[in-house]
Amino acid sequence: MEPSLEYLRRLGIDLPDEKALSLKCKRSDVEILFVRCSDIPTYIEQNVADFGIIGENVLIEQNCKLPILERLSFGECSLVIAVPYESGISCVQDLEGERIATSYPSSLKQFLRENGVNAAIVQIEGSVELSPSLNLADAVCDIRQSGNTLKENGLRVLENIFDSEAVLISKNYEKILL
Amino acid sequence: MPKEMAKRELVMNKIKTIFARFGYDSIETPIICPAETILGKYGEEGDKLTYSFDDNGGRRIALPYDLTVPFARLVAANWQDLPMPFKRYQIQRVWRAEKPQKGRLREFYQCDIDIIGSKSLLCEAELAKVIMTVFKELGFKQFKIKVNSRRLLNDVLTKFGVGEKAVEVIRIIDKLKKIEEAAVIDMLEELGLNSPKELIETLVQERLGDFDLSEINQFFEYCEKLGVDQKYLEFDPCLARGLDYYTGISFEVYSDEAPFGALCAGGRYDDLCGLFCKEDFSGVGVAFGFERLMLAMEEMGQFKEMQSNSKVLVTIFDKDSIDNSLKIYSSLLEAGINSELYFQPEKLAKQFKYADKKGVPFVIVCGPEEIARGEVALKLMKSGKQKNIPTNQLISYLSSYYEN
Repeated sequence: MEPSLEYLRRLGIDLPDEKALSLKCKRSDVEILFVRCSDIPTYIEQNVADFGIIGENVLIEQNCKLPILERLSFGECSLVIAVPYESGISCVQDLEGERIATSYPSSLKQFLRENGVNAAIVQIEGSVELSPSLNLADAVCDIRQSGNTLKENGLRVLENIFDSEAVLISKNYEKILL
Repeated sequence: MPKEMAKRELVMNKIKTIFARFGYDSIETPIICPAETILGKYGEEGDKLTYSFDDNGGRRIALPYDLTVPFARLVAANWQDLPMPFKRYQIQRVWRAEKPQKGRLREFYQCDIDIIGSKSLLCEAELAKVIMTVFKELGFKQFKIKVNSRRLLNDVLTKFGVGEKAVEVIRIIDKLKKIEEAAVIDMLEELGLNSPKELIETLVQERLGDFDLSEINQFFEYCEKLGVDQKYLEFDPCLARGLDYYTGISFEVYSDEAPFGALCAGGRYDDLCGLFCKEDFSGVGVAFGFERLMLAMEEMGQFKEMQSNSKVLVTIFDKDSIDNSLKIYSSLLEAGINSELYFQPEKLAKQFKYADKKGVPFVIVCGPEEIARGEVALKLMKSGKQKNIPTNQLISYLSSYYEN
């Protein structure tokens, strides 16, 4: 969240120094809402908020078509497929019939579709990297930032699905800016 | 055969879902009908093509030639109990004693929708929207909904002094799509028309400035507001529909992807129920020719390899493992996964062969080793890959399996 606030400050938005889910800015009519990342597209779609700062990965996962106004060069990460070091899976086609754990089922499906691969999708919300060692999955599809978590869990990257960063989105920005 | 039926059911269900989306309810009408309820409703040619026979009790029986007339009869008998206007869909077999050829069978399914009890042109516009939706969702890209007005056609015929011969003239004009203009003109001349060439030119070249086009224009306007893409619509003043009972807007749908005649046709009929009761209900409807849709979709390559209903075959490794296989089979069924059990502990190769022939994508093998480890061996028939997974993950594996 800190880089987002930093970005707002750089835009000259004067944030009050309090903690609340919504903050009215001093000296401007801007109100900042702090909501779950995955809820941001809904707020924008329903015209509850005018602008959103969100990870592009969330937009892609929700198949959200809202226009991106600016790429913000923070929150950089990638969605990758990773497998245990000792795994016999050595290319995307080898994933056929395997169990893939992920919190990104729709991005994963899209990827499988593009590659003509069929597989079982084990949907879990967190600690995805643990699942191969627990025999819950044969591969994972998860966000990689530094790569340390993957390494710590004995996983190597098989394929990069997409790169992501924080982006600024809006629905009717042309009208708003008028 | 099962694989053909799987395709037919897939398409039929898609069509039904679309009809239901627009608020049409389903009905069925009898197949064996007293001949007088069918004959004489479609003109001479229709009568010739109607299957009729005497039953063992010497009653004259006919089989439905289409679904519109039986529907009109049903409405005439039950209109007091029906919501009016009444929107129904009906998918049933009809029979025509024709020489069978590609896209033309003696026994075939029609998928009809009709709105009865409203004269509003909004009905026609809605039908155009249904037609567009069906063709788009069945994967057609190049299709044209040809539209004309029988009222307009009658006006043109009146101007050319056609008078009493209108029915025959319309039937000849209807042939314009199959035979040359000159031949049609000859036929009209033979019929004793004074200026057949001018009549045909008026229609073909759309010289319609002197006629009332308000019905057609209003229809196109409503279609536009309803989001019927204009690229799919085409006004065709020559469109005549050979049947006698049309009175207003009529439709025929053609597709470059299916060069064997109209895939869907219909129109407004004002007086059809009047044949069966005193009440007067205006109706409008179209019939989709199911066999032709199937043929076109087949040629367009719309069907993937069809699978059998069962997704999983549970094999029986040997006599001792029957109980375990039964337990797995039962748990799959309870989880709502389409599956089946091989009935005998035969050689696995034979059980695999059965799955292969039937097109079952997953085969489960569970011998003493797997049982000891709490696992099942799962064979993916498409790739031939085999993998072991914990038995208690089997259901989640199968239900979360993503298939292209």
